[in-house]
Amino acid sequence: MDLKQLCEIHAPSGSENILRRLIFDEAKEACGAENVRIDRMGNVLCRKKGTGVGRPHVCVSAHMDEVGFIVMGATEEGLLRFRPIGGIDPRVVISKRVLVGEGMLPGVIGAIAIHLQTRADREKVLGYDSLYIDIGAKDRSEALEKCPPGSYACFDAPYTPFGEGFICAKALDDRVGCYNMLKLLRESYPGDVTFAFVTREEVGMRGSAGAAYAIQPDLVINLEGTAANDLGEADNPFEVCCAGKGVAISFMDNSSVYQRKLYQKLTRLAQINQIAHQPKRGVTAVNDAANYQRAAGGALACTLSVPCRYIHSGASVCSLADVDAQYALTRAFLLNA
Amino acid sequence: MQTEEFLREATALPGLSGNEQAVAQYIADAFRPYCDEVRIDALNSVIARIHGRGPRVMLCAHLDEIGLMVAKIEADGALRLRSVGGVDPRILPGMRVTVYGRETLMGVIGAKAPHLLNDAQRQKNYTLDELYIDLGMPAEQARMAVRIGDCVALEGGYTKLLNDRVATKTADDRSCVAIMLRTAQLLQRMDTTADLYFVASCQEEVGGYGAMTAGFGVDPDFGIVLDVTHAKTPGVSELDAFEIDSPTVAKGPYLHPYLRQKLEEIAKEQHVTIQDEILPRDTSTDADDLEAVRCGVPCVLLSLPVRYMHTSVETFDMRALEESARLLANYCLAINHTWRDALWI
Repeated sequence: MDLKQLCEIHAPSGSENILRRLIFDEAKEACGAENVRIDRMGNVLCRKKGTGVGRPHVCVSAHMDEVGFIVMGATEEGLLRFRPIGGIDPRVVISKRVLVGEGMLPGVIGAIAIHLQTRADREKVLGYDSLYIDIGAKDRSEALEKCPPGSYACFDAPYTPFGEGFICAKALDDRVGCYNMLKLLRESYPGDVTFAFVTREEVGMRGSAGAAYAIQPDLVINLEGTAANDLGEADNPFEVCCAGKGVAISFMDNSSVYQRKLYQKLTRLAQINQIAHQPKRGVTAVNDAANYQRAAGGALACTLSVPCRYIHSGASVCSLADVDAQYALTRAFLLNA
Repeated sequence: MQTEEFLREATALPGLSGNEQAVAQYIADAFRPYCDEVRIDALNSVIARIHGRGPRVMLCAHLDEIGLMVAKIEADGALRLRSVGGVDPRILPGMRVTVYGRETLMGVIGAKAPHLLNDAQRQKNYTLDELYIDLGMPAEQARMAVRIGDCVALEGGYTKLLNDRVATKTADDRSCVAIMLRTAQLLQRMDTTADLYFVASCQEEVGGYGAMTAGFGVDPDFGIVLDVTHAKTPGVSELDAFEIDSPTVAKGPYLHPYLRQKLEEIAKEQHVTIQDEILPRDTSTDADDLEAVRCGVPCVLLSLPVRYMHTSVETFDMRALEESARLLANYCLAINHTWRDALWI
């Protein structure tokens, strides 16, 4: 699958069915049905036997799910009450389009018009208790008939190339990782490699908890999209990484202190192979690497991220060169491990 | 031309107040098959006329839209912005926009990420000063591609919802331009007494200047102003907002009671539901300026209720739009010489 197709599929955490099926089929076609399975957490695990002997077992992991919304109920006027699935700042949802439920019903998220706002309204952030999705329903019963509580919703946002080698899409976190893994699993490596496409990262890294135990690898490369914060601030001490300046290698984030050895090995490999890279300078975000590092007896783990601006919105932005750099560095590691 | 086709295309064209050429040209072309003459005036208002021997009547709905303008290009290539008309900064984070620079570019509106803000900052909305446009290109290239003063149109999109409702950018006020177009279509091959001018006015969002200047040119006896009003949503006073499924007709000191009374009569006769909208002072529409043109122009104001005004998802009811056009066509047919005399006594 290409990145456009991957980003435009709707797979909010806990509702990854469509994407899981497509990844499952593609992995089977690439690696043989006997090497691909779906585990009890809904993760797709694809194990490739190595061409050599005495090599460590490496796991490459990316999460299939994306942030989204879930319907909680409806107002008398027929507007859907909802909450986010994963961390979506309510400030990025006003005036945006969504698709709701299995029928992908179009909806919009509105808010009181500027003309009717008080000064206090203008300052105060509208939380999810004050926001709703308008699908055009006449009343509560029509709204709930079309979109019963528990219906998932996603940003209705296309994948659009723009600028100089940049793209704008929803779900770059973490379809960039899925995209690179689908490319990587078509090649052969000296050691055994398990590719894990995991579920429900955005709601507490649930899928990888099961996968890590099932796989019990020696080494783990976790592929992610991570927030960049590199624009619009002349001197930004919080700049995490720069979009367009290469794959971000993590030494630490909010859920893992990565083993120094692996961090240095990856940095050296990037230098030797002239792959654009940068340290992820901000200690931000949590991800699946934490589960892999600590499952069973523990493993060596590191996270390689594509810098994404406006992550967890319907308009996240990244550089295609960085997506390729994530692929190139992971591949170099698998060939060397 | 079908109303939906017109709306899809007209709402997708740029027309920020003061820079309405593209949408004005499109609207002029749309009216041409149904009118005897069509012109675009010096400020970008479209004036389309169906000849008649009776009173001169000016229908007026504005074609311009709110948007942003590039005010500064930062060292890193991010574009700082000023608003053209009343843009609510709350709608901007994570929005895709079109930048009309040396070439037409896509941009994304960004802001400092939430995890870099302290708790107090997180409780506050971003102000326009804190937001910027990301063009996805290096700073040197951004400075080549974009100039200070270039227009930025908000995210487009035309979404059909349930129950004939439509969510689109610039329903304010191109939905009402569509009502005028539909009215002109309905008046085809009808014998109207009134000399009808369909004016798609420019510069309403910055102050009614198109209605003022086009009104001077037309010098009408009566004005029929069409604009959007607020449809009911949670948290809005019922005095300020109306049911989405039928038009409102305004009542108040800026509007003429006789013209309104005639509109009520025709609505009743045609079985068109209308709602009362009470405006104790100015109307915040073109009516405020048109009413004061030359020696004065008695005006009536018909409004289409729209949810989420001044966002990119302005939502209205297509049936209310159709019914408004049917009402207006019948109203235009009814206008004759006796109306002028009946205004004040």
